[in-house]
Amino acid sequence: MRSYACRLLAGAAVLALWAPSANAQELTIFWAEWDPANYLQELVNEYEEETGVMVTVETTPWQDFQTKAFTEFNARGNAYDMIVGDSQWLGAASEGGHYVDLTEFFKEHDLGNVMAPATVKYYAEYPGNSGKFWAIPAEGDAVGWSYRKDWFEDPEEMKAFEAKYGYPLAAPQTWQQLIDIAEFFHRPDENRYGIAIYTDNSYDGLVMGVENALFSYGADLGDYETYEVEGILNSDQAVEALEAYRQLYQYTPPGWSKTFFVENNQAITEGLAAMSMNYFAFFPALVNPATNPNAENTGFFANPAGPDGDQFAALGGQGISIVSYSDNIDEAYKFLEWFIQDDVQKRWAELGGYTAHAKTLESDEFRNATPYNEAFYQTMFKVKDFWAVPEYAELLTAANQRLYPYVVGGEGSAKEVLDALAEDWKETFKKYGRTN
Amino acid sequence: MRERSRRLFHPESDIVTDVITRLKPDSRAASRGLSDLTIRNLFIIPTIAFLIIFNVFPLLYSLWTSFTDFRASTTAPANWIGLANYRELLNDPFIWRNFTITAKYVIISVTGQVVVGFGLAMLLNRAIPFKGLVTTLLLLPMMLSMAVVGLFWKLLYDPSFGIINYFLGLGKFEWLADPQVALWAVAIVDIWMWSPFVMLLSLAGLSAVPKHLYEAAEIDRAGPFYTFFRITLPLVAPILMIAIIFRTMEAFKTFDHAYILSSQPTTELIAIRLYKMAFLEWQTGLSSAFAYIVLIMVVAITNIYVKYLNRAKAR
Amino acid sequence: MAEVKTKSEVVMNRVAIVAVFVALIIMLTPIYWIASTAFKPRSLATTVPPTVMFEPTLTPFAKLFVRRSQMREPVEQEVYEAAPWWEKLIYDDGENVVRNRRSGDITPSGYADRYKNSLIISIISTFLAVSMGTLTAYGFSRFKVKGEQDWLFFILSTRMLPPVVVAIPMFLMYRTVGLHDTHLGLIILYTAFNLSFAVWIMKGFIDEIPKEYEEAALVDGYTRLQAFWKIVLPEALTGIAATAVFCFIIAWNEYAFALMMTNRNAQTAPPYIPSQVGSGLPDWSVIAAGAFLFLLPVAIFTFLLRNHLLRGMSFGAIRK
Repeated sequence: MRSYACRLLAGAAVLALWAPSANAQELTIFWAEWDPANYLQELVNEYEEETGVMVTVETTPWQDFQTKAFTEFNARGNAYDMIVGDSQWLGAASEGGHYVDLTEFFKEHDLGNVMAPATVKYYAEYPGNSGKFWAIPAEGDAVGWSYRKDWFEDPEEMKAFEAKYGYPLAAPQTWQQLIDIAEFFHRPDENRYGIAIYTDNSYDGLVMGVENALFSYGADLGDYETYEVEGILNSDQAVEALEAYRQLYQYTPPGWSKTFFVENNQAITEGLAAMSMNYFAFFPALVNPATNPNAENTGFFANPAGPDGDQFAALGGQGISIVSYSDNIDEAYKFLEWFIQDDVQKRWAELGGYTAHAKTLESDEFRNATPYNEAFYQTMFKVKDFWAVPEYAELLTAANQRLYPYVVGGEGSAKEVLDALAEDWKETFKKYGRTN
Repeated sequence: MRERSRRLFHPESDIVTDVITRLKPDSRAASRGLSDLTIRNLFIIPTIAFLIIFNVFPLLYSLWTSFTDFRASTTAPANWIGLANYRELLNDPFIWRNFTITAKYVIISVTGQVVVGFGLAMLLNRAIPFKGLVTTLLLLPMMLSMAVVGLFWKLLYDPSFGIINYFLGLGKFEWLADPQVALWAVAIVDIWMWSPFVMLLSLAGLSAVPKHLYEAAEIDRAGPFYTFFRITLPLVAPILMIAIIFRTMEAFKTFDHAYILSSQPTTELIAIRLYKMAFLEWQTGLSSAFAYIVLIMVVAITNIYVKYLNRAKAR
Repeated sequence: MAEVKTKSEVVMNRVAIVAVFVALIIMLTPIYWIASTAFKPRSLATTVPPTVMFEPTLTPFAKLFVRRSQMREPVEQEVYEAAPWWEKLIYDDGENVVRNRRSGDITPSGYADRYKNSLIISIISTFLAVSMGTLTAYGFSRFKVKGEQDWLFFILSTRMLPPVVVAIPMFLMYRTVGLHDTHLGLIILYTAFNLSFAVWIMKGFIDEIPKEYEEAALVDGYTRLQAFWKIVLPEALTGIAATAVFCFIIAWNEYAFALMMTNRNAQTAPPYIPSQVGSGLPDWSVIAAGAFLFLLPVAIFTFLLRNHLLRGMSFGAIRK
């Protein structure tokens, strides 16, 4: 009886050890549902050809991406081996133990220099300046601008503009020019409007939009190391920046009260606005004549500089991390080693992914590949991000509650709004013990 | 007092079952088949058990979490903080604003649904051509998924792309951008979508009112108002109340289409705030406390409604 | 007995017909808009001002079922020639199809699978909810139950919490029991939350059926079960039809739990249809096509039941 039981156990053990090897040949990457995910799937198909390991990119709509990801983490689920997570998740995911610590991997492959420095700082490192890394920058992204070249290059318009403002009409280099041009093209009777900006306050749309003004005017959201916000968030430059953003809102199409990437692209395709802000990730749709009837006439420029010459843009983009509950961590490491190779990153850019790989970014080939790549290349070295602490969403909620009524409704003054927000944030940071 | 039915000895009854039923303490010897008690238990217990199993765990889990500082996004242990979450919420003016906004919304939306739905039912409760087809068509709004409704109504309301301003000649009227109008705009979508629900239930109730009552009233020369308030309404009231109870409960939970349509502070319903708290900020403990506060409110309100319902049934 | 229609009744009927017509227009215009958008080429879906007259096309439907990607170079001549008509529509509209690397077959979009899942899950859970609900409603209506009001309120209360709150514990529960991403998991879930609804509505209808009918039947020699089956159920058919329609609609369109509790295997269509939004430029006609097709089964189901929905309950002299 005993020997029989032993044999049974041995058989079971063999089966148990044997079975996982069947799974080890498959990896799942979780991302949001958008074109870059399709490009990634094409890229990883090449990995399968090389190694025989099948990689599936599983997706879910953007609005549900965070919910699904963190619910899975919380349940310590192994449904996903890797995840291309938002940069803001770094704090929550690393402190929560959901991401595998990739510091060693970073050092081994010198990723601090292989990838563009700004991307490493914001997509991978947490806490700030700590030297700990949790993700490989995969999809670089930032906010850029598209505009109607044909409207700008129309001789009549150019004459009228120069007459009124005293300088030639061209893609704006400073925020003041941006405001002037928006005012110039704002013609409600003709159903043409000056500008399209982010105003969606259900998550981070509005805040990202305001960041573009804030950073370029020389202000900041606070000190990322000491968590001080007083005097930084509500500095004079910040107030000026917020007022500028509010002014831009006056030149948006009617009903522009809950807008994000969808609406802002529609502003260009439907010929509503002269200029439109959006993440670079959404620009491919604008150069495709099938999706944008105005594709031929659409140009791009990087976020303009502020009055003091600072030029920054709000950061988007994601990095790819290994989920600590995955059953295939070793296999995932192998995949990442393949992913960071020079030629793979080049191929990633070719397919449409926004690589963060420094050499690829700097290459002429990349910069000339599409009308917006040059602007993208310039921007990626001048990006700043929102807070990446685990409680970032509470900070966002407070920001939305304070900024929205002012920007969209004109309630209160920029100074009052920023002062109130600074108070809110101070309280939140105190609640989580970041400050005393 | 259970009425016992008197049974006669049926010539085809099985002698064996007769003997068995005779031995059952609960049933009269004359009833065949399963006893009333067995049937009652068989019909009710599975449902109750099923619902208990399904709801007990989540309810208890949420209750426990509401007394902790648990955040579902981390693996940090949950610390017991007693009533701190509840205190934080009840002291937060933004939360109170959510409550008032939701209350206003529920009143507008449910009233609208009842007026439109019941009105439509009254219209349809006659001999009109193609009644079946018309009823099905009028039920269509209810059959769409909330997310789709939200997406398309957002487009419909848009001053540039949408047909509402276009067909009604409203030019650049801002439905969703205007903070005051936005809540009405969201409520209109709700009314549009759910009046068919009230309509269907009312129609079923109305078509069950016996015709002879109307005939008797006519003979008595009763006017339309009298007929409506003394005959129609009281007989439809039970079903109508059930419809109102469910729609009110659902109105408090409104999330899907409201979230997509508008993110104005003046349209932040409880469920939207709850979602942000639970899934964007991951303040799981706080959101559970919030949910329980809302639950208590809804229970209280529903209790009142159910009392009305019972009164309506007792006639 | 001939029904004599008074003049005022005829006039009222006419007024009612006009009113119904107006109501139809108001209620159905948004639906018409969605349906018509489903047949528009991509460029006409969101125009300023909106496009009312256009030439319909089936391109959105073709796109709906196929996984697509941006067209970076024009498609090769031979591939285009060899493609079936629906594939050509996609190329003509400026998008490329994604092919399976190994087999060369076109990759389906996942819509069809999810549609199928929706059908299975909704039909089964509706059947379960309506059956159990009717039985339970009968039990509460006809028999004395201790604490009846409390039990009924408990059943009602299962629908009071927003899904958001219940989502995390349910997710954990399902993961532990192994019901995550299974058809059975969603079926059980939908049955559970349609039950409260089914019980209350059916009780409302059954309460209206006079007990005298069954008493008479029992006197005549029927068993309780036979009386239920032969007398009560037919009378309650309107209620059952209405409940079935509602439960089906609720299960069919449920979004929150379908999103959380399922992944590749058992996910239903609702979380998928709006997902076309997010590539920077949503293809509204494809979303409309997806919504339109998804609307059809419910509409057909309701249409088939329309007579039962409208049938009143027949009462004889017994009505008090």
